[in-house]
Amino acid sequence: MDFVLLIQAFLIGVFCYLGSVSSPWLMGVSGGYYVVGRPLVAGLIVGLILGDITTGIILGVAVQAAFIATISTGGTQNSEITYAAYGGIALGILTKADTGVTVTLSVGIGALGLILHNVMMVTNSAWNKRADRAAEAGDARGIILNNSFYPQIVNFLLRVVPVALAIYFGQEFVTKALDVIPGDVTQIMNVLGGLLPALGIALLMNLLIKDKFQLIFFLAGFVIIAFIVKNMIALTVIASLIAYVIYLGAGSSNHTEIEDEVI
Amino acid sequence: MKKLDKKDLRKGWLYWAMYHLSSMSFEKLEAHGFAHSMIPILNKLYKGNPEEYKKALKRHSVFYNTEPQSGSLVNGIVASLEEEKANGKEIDDEMFHSVKTGIMGPIAGIGDSTIQGIIIPILLTIGMGISSNGNPLGVFVYIIGYLAIILSLSYFLYFRGYHLGVNAVDGLIGANSERLRNAFSVLGTLVIGGLAASFVHLTTPLKIPNGDATIELQKTLDGFFPGLLSLLAVLFCWYLISKKKYSGTKVLLILVAFSIIGVLLHVF
Repeated sequence: MDFVLLIQAFLIGVFCYLGSVSSPWLMGVSGGYYVVGRPLVAGLIVGLILGDITTGIILGVAVQAAFIATISTGGTQNSEITYAAYGGIALGILTKADTGVTVTLSVGIGALGLILHNVMMVTNSAWNKRADRAAEAGDARGIILNNSFYPQIVNFLLRVVPVALAIYFGQEFVTKALDVIPGDVTQIMNVLGGLLPALGIALLMNLLIKDKFQLIFFLAGFVIIAFIVKNMIALTVIASLIAYVIYLGAGSSNHTEIEDEVI
Repeated sequence: MKKLDKKDLRKGWLYWAMYHLSSMSFEKLEAHGFAHSMIPILNKLYKGNPEEYKKALKRHSVFYNTEPQSGSLVNGIVASLEEEKANGKEIDDEMFHSVKTGIMGPIAGIGDSTIQGIIIPILLTIGMGISSNGNPLGVFVYIIGYLAIILSLSYFLYFRGYHLGVNAVDGLIGANSERLRNAFSVLGTLVIGGLAASFVHLTTPLKIPNGDATIELQKTLDGFFPGLLSLLAVLFCWYLISKKKYSGTKVLLILVAFSIIGVLLHVF
């Protein structure tokens, strides 16, 4: 039994828990889901735990790209981002997989994780009923326990145990699988890994672009990076300038409307 | 005269900021998180009045769902309403419910599109750009940038909600904020364009025979429009989602099929 790996796998599972959407301990979703739960941050944490920060971050960036537009509310999820990040990046580092393979692996693990997340949502109904009864009795302590403490025990177990086991036993399995699967399958995973960010970006565009003429802003951003300068900070500064000019422009037209009314 | 002090309000904000989703279920979502966040407020206002205390806990344990970080505004507003009620103003449970359900929708709409649609992708994109070669600096830029923006925003909105009461909503849904959000969505759209160019990868190994030599199609494409195939892939997904109303899962399956067929035909 490999104790070092077991402890590493357990620690990674704990971070997968801390980054989950319902974990309260890092200021709710602010420090949890939206920070520790992001694959970019998971890459650094998993890299630190497994002793390969550079690979961790590179894989984190790749997985993050596929999950760039995880919309947690309203939209339907197809993969649970935190399971995907911690399970996928850890196995990616341990099996020395390509980034494309790691991304595909992450999405698969995330799909299984979504089932576990839904199990938690269902079991939470039971704690909700108890919290309701506590409210009716005027028992604040009961609300606190049934809102934060008990559901989190379930959440902790549903995260730490499967993730730690998947990493501990998955390393050998995935390494063997990658050795025997044909080159075409690896190539399919690589192509899919490169394509998955397109889905996330399309979901974001759907959220931001209300009028098809606004597509020009998307194309401009693409062309600036593809043709002119491969630097996102430069693009963000240029984009801020354009947004500010538009803000000023929208202001002046509002002004004339008001003046018209006065006349 | 019962008055909430800064300590009660800070606790109310902190409990909401932490426990909003901690017992999330399909049918109640943030209901008990809301009740949890009201406890420090109610402890102060209904001390020595167990009947009212009980009623208050009950009325805040009903279904509730909004974007939690910007939604702290609602908790602030409700705290101010509870304070008025404790000081004798006639506010019935119906009023609390209609305020909460009336504001949670617009706040969720604005909050989700601004936070998940603009702030997070922009910060992530900057962080990913710096970290793409394995440099941890980009990760820290994201962590610090996000927490600084979001925690101060959430704290500010809670107190704004408390001080302005129901009027606090006007500033958030008014014409000026509409104008600001439009400008931000332009910023977001430009940045995700760059994100697409950086992180979507689709290339073809196809070679076209040309007399004795062969032309590598990808090199030709790169010559006049670098990343053209990647751009087409994004536009295709966007078309399916926004025009054809396909779900994300459906598009994911289409991409899987597309990759399999493309690789087997040696097009990708």
